[in-house]
Amino acid sequence: MSDVKTYIQKLIEARNLSKGSSVSNLLEEFCSDPYIIESVHLILNTQKMLTNKWQIKSRIEEIIHRSIVIPNGTVGKMYEAKLDFVQLAMNDLVYTEFEGLSEYGLFYDNESETIKGIPEKAGDSKIILKFRVEGEAESSVLNEKKIALVINPDPKSLWKNIDSDPQDPFWKKDNTAEFATIGNGKHIVVASKRGRSHANVGSFRDDDFAFKFLESTGWSVVVISDGAGSAKFSRKGAQVVCSAIVTYFEELFTAADNEAFNALIFHYLLETGEDTVRKLNHWVYHHLSKAALYAHNQLVALTKELNCDLKDLHATLSFTLFKKIEEKFVLLSFGVGDCPMAVLSSDLNKVTLLNWLDVGEFGGGTRFITMPEIFSSEKFHSRFSFKMMEDFSYLMLFTDGIYDPKFMVEANLEKIEMWQNFVQDLQGANQDNCAVNLSPNNADIAPQLSKWMDFWSIGNHDDRTLAIVF
Amino acid sequence: MRRLPVYLLLDTSGSMMGEPIEAVKNGVQVMISSLRQNPQAIESAFISIITFDSSAQQLLPLTDLATFQMVDLKASGTTSLGEALKLLSNKLQTEVQKTTLEKKGDWKPLVFIMTDGVPTDDWQAGLIEFKKCKPALTIACAAGAGADANILRSITDTVISLDTADSHSISQFFQWVSASIGISSSKVEESGHEVTGIKDLPPPPSELNLVI
Repeated sequence: MSDVKTYIQKLIEARNLSKGSSVSNLLEEFCSDPYIIESVHLILNTQKMLTNKWQIKSRIEEIIHRSIVIPNGTVGKMYEAKLDFVQLAMNDLVYTEFEGLSEYGLFYDNESETIKGIPEKAGDSKIILKFRVEGEAESSVLNEKKIALVINPDPKSLWKNIDSDPQDPFWKKDNTAEFATIGNGKHIVVASKRGRSHANVGSFRDDDFAFKFLESTGWSVVVISDGAGSAKFSRKGAQVVCSAIVTYFEELFTAADNEAFNALIFHYLLETGEDTVRKLNHWVYHHLSKAALYAHNQLVALTKELNCDLKDLHATLSFTLFKKIEEKFVLLSFGVGDCPMAVLSSDLNKVTLLNWLDVGEFGGGTRFITMPEIFSSEKFHSRFSFKMMEDFSYLMLFTDGIYDPKFMVEANLEKIEMWQNFVQDLQGANQDNCAVNLSPNNADIAPQLSKWMDFWSIGNHDDRTLAIVF
Repeated sequence: MRRLPVYLLLDTSGSMMGEPIEAVKNGVQVMISSLRQNPQAIESAFISIITFDSSAQQLLPLTDLATFQMVDLKASGTTSLGEALKLLSNKLQTEVQKTTLEKKGDWKPLVFIMTDGVPTDDWQAGLIEFKKCKPALTIACAAGAGADANILRSITDTVISLDTADSHSISQFFQWVSASIGISSSKVEESGHEVTGIKDLPPPPSELNLVI
């Protein structure tokens, strides 16, 4: 009764009809009429119904416009996106389903409120959340909310493998691998592989290598070089410097030079006095710098032949000579650029680095043997090393295509556990269970190393060259 | 892994309201989608969005393409380009990793600046900060007649102007930015060297006038 009276009172006040002294009595009588009571109740119920409907509608609108962000997926990678409706303040959704998930190979798990699955195709689209909110009739048409879903392609699928042009005057094989004996009781396996970034556009492998056992002097020499991708003939430059180093020690390094070294070493074995060490270092500096300069000069000569600039031939240079003298191994090395050279002890418990790396403050800041200032720099003398040890398990030289993915930073080269992991990786401790049996009796050793070098590493698609002496 | 950081400095002042801001949003979206198809870009490019109106803010820190999600851009207020340059300088110094013994350095960053107006704040102060940073390449885009290409010329040698800030020109600009990022990311992966000038980038389409 009172709600009827309140309603009528408000109504007549709103219409300005409530004037006069008898209003109060009249209102009492008016509101006791059953027809009036019924009419007011009808109005109030209708209003309540309309208010409810309005609230539901505006709630639906609110949900449709509220941002729901789900993470992006990648083809072939398990995807899980939890839709926390409580967190999203949407716990009044009484029914939910999704449209557009199955075409990506995804589904919605109602129980865990999670979109999951392994995406099968890439795309940038909107999936549809179909829902009903509390208060809506079960038979009502479902509401639709669009949610952006991005599925990235599997980066592996985007890489193309285009053969390089064999007609090019400086063409070289995209992939190559060799195994040989290298004297001093050791063997060498080396593989060089064009990087995916080159394969993607059909360009050439810029890395190169060379090795030789020099019978007349007893030295074994291993050289690697990484041609700068930005230099148009660097693949030729890398090839020329590698063969130049071998040529130098084969043809220009005399028996007398070698005898002088032998004499110094015998002296050193007897007493490692300061003077002997100084003389030895001087000998190493003198002959290895002559070899490096010889390689540099070969490139200078090549610029005339090709009518190009030295910078068009930019290439790094790392080489190591080794020889067994009096049951000890002597290792001499020189390096410009970012290709590490290292020796692992027989028990794999010690690593000896033969060079430091030229790395800039930002990526790409390395140095090349083409740069004349290398030879006049005050750091030049530090590019050489002389080491002597009982024996070694592995001598390794590799380009940044191996260094970047496997060692990442210079500090890691000092850590023996990184090298132990690297050796285990070579032996098959990797995602693909791809192993290289590092035994001289393994007839497949070279193709095995080449296959191992196909390992996948995000963002590391440079040429890869790895030489292992064992 | 080395990242290729890409900073987009976008003018969201009041004059960008309507068609221009919608075109910028769309342009960035399309750019990201197309870069996701480039294997080198998807593995190396990281994008950051800095907007400037009455103040400057970094709406998105450096984010890889695979996880990138577009942010909403709204146009209002004045044109605080100076503050944006200051913020950018700060981000270049703190977000871009330099090579150390323990950490792999990023590639030198690329910076793209787009504005349709004249700065309303002390832009020279921001410029002094920015000049201390060394991105590989900075490209400024003067969108429409209201932009002052000369001011942009003092920020970078590479200034591009759009005759009008309409959706077609803006979309052309972003297509070109996309191609430039694609080229830069393949260049760093193939050659180990970043781009050093506009000559390394694809030629801009005819809608983009290079201001010499």
